[in-house]
Amino acid sequence: MRLNYTLLAGPSQKSARRPQREPVPFKQLLPLELKKTVSGKGDKLKEAACMQEMAVMFACFKKSEFDQSACLKEVAAFQGCFKDYSERMNAQREQGKKGILVPGEQKLTHRQLNQLLKAFPPKK
Amino acid sequence: MANNMRILNKCIPWYPSSYLLPRISGVLQSREYSRPTSFPDYFQNPIFRKEDQAKLIESSELTKIAALPMKPPAVYETSSVYHDPLVNKLINHVMEMGKKQLARSLVEKSFENIKRAQIERYHLASTPEAKAKIELDPKKILHKAIENAKPLLQLQPIKRGGITYQVPGPITEKRSLFLAIKWLLEATYEKERTVHFPKQFAWELLDAANNTGKVIKRKQDLHRLCEANRAYAHYRWQ
Repeated sequence: MRLNYTLLAGPSQKSARRPQREPVPFKQLLPLELKKTVSGKGDKLKEAACMQEMAVMFACFKKSEFDQSACLKEVAAFQGCFKDYSERMNAQREQGKKGILVPGEQKLTHRQLNQLLKAFPPKK
Repeated sequence: MANNMRILNKCIPWYPSSYLLPRISGVLQSREYSRPTSFPDYFQNPIFRKEDQAKLIESSELTKIAALPMKPPAVYETSSVYHDPLVNKLINHVMEMGKKQLARSLVEKSFENIKRAQIERYHLASTPEAKAKIELDPKKILHKAIENAKPLLQLQPIKRGGITYQVPGPITEKRSLFLAIKWLLEATYEKERTVHFPKQFAWELLDAANNTGKVIKRKQDLHRLCEANRAYAHYRWQ
């Protein structure tokens, strides 16, 4: 009885006595199609903001022994750059959160793309 | 205020004072809700400064806001010419256990100490040019001290390959203000037991306004550390 039962069962994946043989038959577990959404992983900005300005400021600091009043121009440039950057990021974040579609835009955020995919679902 | 209360107590002598006091304070502040009240989130913050109101009128946004419900301003939010948001912030940082009156008196006492020190210097100065250079307004000195104490950079711990690097980067305006006030207060708390807070705080403010002292050194040390770690700066965006 026990022998019979073992014979009826499929090949064990774990057993070294019956290894998997090539070619491995393909078994479809999920339908072969793309998801109807895109993930937001790729949207993280990898821009090195204000590196140039920071380097210039460091050089000036080193020259003047970290006396800030000697590098007013460099400091203002650095702070202005960071302010611009954070404003731009905030605007982008706001826009992205809402997922508002601007006609004629070339680069879309993942939220905007999802909005489009929802409105026009891909046909099978 | 205490004087007023005494007069009122005299006027109505048949009430027990324990019953009278809360009612009077309620009337004086003209508050129509009990103190710990939260408002729904569609209530807007009050715009109590005349400059801000003028700005709203100029940009014709007042008509939009006028119909919205507003929170009542707190007692410290006033349109008085003596109101200074930075001083208010500082008082809140000095405050411990919600004792605001004590914190305010400490800050005002340090302003008085600054004023005294500067007036002494003013009278000691011989030439009119030297006298003109001495700043007598303690609030201006506070503003200058905080402006000088604000750091430009910060170090952020970022883990790469099992090692935590201290990565330099830009700092937000809000955090840099917070650090400046925190450092000024920490430098003040580092004092002899016999020296009182207002005196030490006045010294620290005068030092920082003069671009010298413990706080400025601390800021420069941070900048030095950032400069030393500048090779890691590119880890920030990976």
